Amino acid sequence: MKFLVVDDSATMRRIVINSLQRIGFSDTVEAGDGQDALAKFDSSIKFVITDWNMPNMSGTEFTKVLRSREDGRQVPILMVTARSVKEDILTAMEAGVNNYIVKPFTPQVLKEKIDALLPAAAA
Amino acid sequence: MTSTRAQEVLYESEAALRLVDHELTGMRDVRDTAEGSARVIPMLALSELPQILEQANAQILSVLSRLRESRAALQTTTLEKLATTHEKIREVTSATEDAAIDIMDACDRATHMVDELDAIDAQASPDREKAGGIRANLRDELFLMMGALQFQDITSQQLSHASAVLVEMENRLLDVAKLFDQNPDDLNSVSEGAPRAPNETTYDPNATTLNAERRQALADEIFTAVRAPAA
Repeated sequence: MKFLVVDDSATMRRIVINSLQRIGFSDTVEAGDGQDALAKFDSSIKFVITDWNMPNMSGTEFTKVLRSREDGRQVPILMVTARSVKEDILTAMEAGVNNYIVKPFTPQVLKEKIDALLPAAAA
Repeated sequence: MTSTRAQEVLYESEAALRLVDHELTGMRDVRDTAEGSARVIPMLALSELPQILEQANAQILSVLSRLRESRAALQTTTLEKLATTHEKIREVTSATEDAAIDIMDACDRATHMVDELDAIDAQASPDREKAGGIRANLRDELFLMMGALQFQDITSQQLSHASAVLVEMENRLLDVAKLFDQNPDDLNSVSEGAPRAPNETTYDPNATTLNAERRQALADEIFTAVRAPAA
């Protein structure tokens, strides 16, 4: 299963990718912001993990655009962000993310959220 | 006091200063002669002088009052902003230290595990099963070290916020300087050389390394209460 990992922090991308490898997912594509992610997204991507605050295009904007595309309507999107006030979480939901992880996260939380969305990703 | 109120007070101070300037100009009543070259200052009627001076005095008192208010407004706004910035920088220091300690603790535990593995290897008949368990724990420790590095992303956002506040303060001080400077254009070069604030879309002003579990619980609670879109 191929994951698209979107974050403007190279450190965070590496942490997420290493976490994914540790739970058995080694097929990953990286993007530095929403625009880059849109350019790299294709039907081979089965799961998206995205940050919120990024230059050029934010994680919520990226999610909205992806949801408007035929090939991005169903893909599970997990937001991993430092933003954690209620309004932000609701905004992310409205944009179309399927679940939400607050930074800093533990590998266990990442695994739980991915596991919960795997059936949808495999569909 | 809000920054908007501070700007209003500054604007009112500027207006009052202009009024004083206007009054003083009126006192001089300068006018050109018919030839347009020489200037004459007519004698003021002596009886008008006390009234004019009284008006000028009232305007000056008004300006002084506004200036005091401006100073108070600027002081309050500046202190509030700087206190937030100070708090962010203090949190960065704390987060950096916490992450460093977590990593050092993990290094200590990892080193101890390597020693245990060495001891097992030195045995005549090494306990492979025990060694396997220690290796798994060692991988966990190394993974924890990597996870601790998440502080870098969060502290980077906190520093961006602190930087934005400092740039805003600098711009505000420049605005005040322009208000009182006879040649505000001279300050434009200072404005041009001032650092630019980080792109506000790239950081969260409230980013923190603190209370991650509680914040995650809030997110989970919201996602449970409000059904997430079906994937």
